[in-house]
Amino acid sequence: MTAARALYADFVRTFGNVLFAVSLFVVWGVLTLFGVLIDQGRDPSVYFESYAAPIARAILRLSLDNVYHSPWYVGIIGLILTSLAVCTFKRVVPARLPALRPVKIESIPLHACFETAGDADSVRSRLAEFFAARGWRIRERIFGGIEWSFADKHNWARRGVLIAHAGFVILAAGTTLYWARGFSGEIALLDGQTSQIPNTGAVIRLDDFAYRIAPTQTKSGMVYQPIDYVSHVTASGKNGIPARMTVRVNHPIEIDDTLYYQASYGFGMRFSVTHDGRRDAALSGRTLLEGDTLDLPGTQRSVLYERFAPTVDKQTGMPTADPRVNNPAVVLGVSQAGAPLGEALVALGSRIDLGGGWGLEPQKYVMYSGFQYRHDPGVPLVGIGAFVLLTGLIISFYFVPARLYVRVDDIGAQRSSVGLAATTVKGYDVFESEFARLVVALKADHS
Amino acid sequence: MNLPWDEILIGVALGAYTLGALALVIYFFSQDESFRKAGVPLAILGCAAQFVQLAVRFETTHVWPLLNLYGSLSLFSAMSVAIYIGFAFRYRLWFAGGFVLALAAIFLAYGVTWYEGTMPPVPSLQSYWAKIHVPIVVSSYAAFLVAFVFSCIYLLKYYAARSGTGSTARWLASFPSLPQLDAIVYRAVAIGLPLISIGIITGAMWAHEAWGAYWQWDPKETAALFSWIVYLAYMHLHTRHAWRGLRTNWVSVIGFASIIFCYLGVNIWISGLHSYKV
Repeated sequence: MTAARALYADFVRTFGNVLFAVSLFVVWGVLTLFGVLIDQGRDPSVYFESYAAPIARAILRLSLDNVYHSPWYVGIIGLILTSLAVCTFKRVVPARLPALRPVKIESIPLHACFETAGDADSVRSRLAEFFAARGWRIRERIFGGIEWSFADKHNWARRGVLIAHAGFVILAAGTTLYWARGFSGEIALLDGQTSQIPNTGAVIRLDDFAYRIAPTQTKSGMVYQPIDYVSHVTASGKNGIPARMTVRVNHPIEIDDTLYYQASYGFGMRFSVTHDGRRDAALSGRTLLEGDTLDLPGTQRSVLYERFAPTVDKQTGMPTADPRVNNPAVVLGVSQAGAPLGEALVALGSRIDLGGGWGLEPQKYVMYSGFQYRHDPGVPLVGIGAFVLLTGLIISFYFVPARLYVRVDDIGAQRSSVGLAATTVKGYDVFESEFARLVVALKADHS
Repeated sequence: MNLPWDEILIGVALGAYTLGALALVIYFFSQDESFRKAGVPLAILGCAAQFVQLAVRFETTHVWPLLNLYGSLSLFSAMSVAIYIGFAFRYRLWFAGGFVLALAAIFLAYGVTWYEGTMPPVPSLQSYWAKIHVPIVVSSYAAFLVAFVFSCIYLLKYYAARSGTGSTARWLASFPSLPQLDAIVYRAVAIGLPLISIGIITGAMWAHEAWGAYWQWDPKETAALFSWIVYLAYMHLHTRHAWRGLRTNWVSVIGFASIIFCYLGVNIWISGLHSYKV
């Protein structure tokens, strides 16, 4: 039992230590910085290309390639939340909400003593009026037969740090709710294509997608600035009633508590594939998206549809930066048993010979629109948590709760001595000038 | 689009900041009041010229002027000077003005190098959030710049006082005391931290509308989170008597370095969802 108590005391002492909490912040910060500096979620080969082998191995072994979902990161946030809880109950509450108790006036840096006319009771009464008129809340207590007056200002603001800590916990709970109950995904729909979202059963058809480009002359040359991406869709949710909707960047649509976002676009391509002069119906019927591959049957050869080149310069024969479609072509990569053989820029309507009697002709492009969908039941909680956290921070920073300890003693001949000391939750420097003004006004009131 | 007023006002601001910085740096060393009297109006003139420039630019182009580095750095330097002027009037801190104005001039001049002309915003920037999120975040950076300058003066005074009692120490004694300087840094951070918190929150709300997730661990988001953590650590350490002062002022300096990395480093060197340069 004693060992358990000692362990508990050690736990509370460690996790209730502000320097320990700050050390956790530092580790959290360093891990976060790793996430900024190291590309996240890439293929292991990318790290070996970018870094020396020992560093790349360290990145992969320490999960720094996916640091935000690593045990280190989740663990450190768990430790911070634990420290936050212990600090709240063991440090913040007692320090922020101190009990009324007598103090040694002279040992507090902000203090003043003076004598004034009147017996102790009448001086106390005048002091109470003085402080009440300036917005201080007065409370009187007797300790060991000595009467003390306590004056508080912005006492409610002592809860600011507690509120901020509570906000942090609510925010963490909201994030956890997404991990537990939320989902997200991506779909790409070709013009006219319909798809069902597996998580919700919602059915979405892309009626059409369009983008607008504004060619703009800048000091460095012509820039083709995208100014609009718009998808017109017909969607139906659980009620089964189809509705026409428009999805733009910054304007997602909502179906059954799931939001759908305009995420990307591209050009699907239909190819005419021939073998020994005859059209291969199976391969020619497909529409490939950028990055898709065609495997030629009976061979180890495959063709990668790398990307669409919307405009090819008629004079140079090279793709231009203009993303508007005007003399389009496709970039194809051909490989044999996984080994790349070469790349070719092929204009629409032109045939390319792939060897072994195989030929391919890019025939028609079809635009596709990429959507991201997300159901996050934690969003309201995260919003509340952020609001509470912010409220707590603002209360903590902009209101200085101060307490005055006042002791009045009869010194005979209808005179009393007044001892006055002040403490705040932010040290003494921030209250120094206000305390000085208060003492001057107090002495003037009693002169 | 040719914007002569835009260029004239930027020129006025740059000139005023440079001359004002010179005057106030001389005032810092000489404590000659005539240099303060020359420097303060120049600071106000430069700041006013910048805000007018941003307004004129918006009125002329109808494009929110803070969507590229040129515009946001312009607001950054203007807000740094504005926050500093507010502090200087409230707490009589004109002695530090030369350093704030010099930094404002440097950042403004650097912003001008990114000027490419007026471009329509990309779809992700076509949101009312641009008018809320960007000014708040940039203002938080400005508050941290002011905190950084006073932290540097704190550290200068601390180490000068420790190293000797000669003329340097006597000269520095005429500035506010170390606890007073520390309280000024605290007040500047107390402006910056809620602002960057609101900035991160509004950014998350914008991201929720634009990209489908309020948090995507984008380099900018994580760098801002890192800076937030540093200043949160500052606030926590400031509650400890043993840490308040020298150590917390070093944290403030580190915090501003993290802000510069978050603001410029991420925008310029790291590709991500926030790579808005021109």
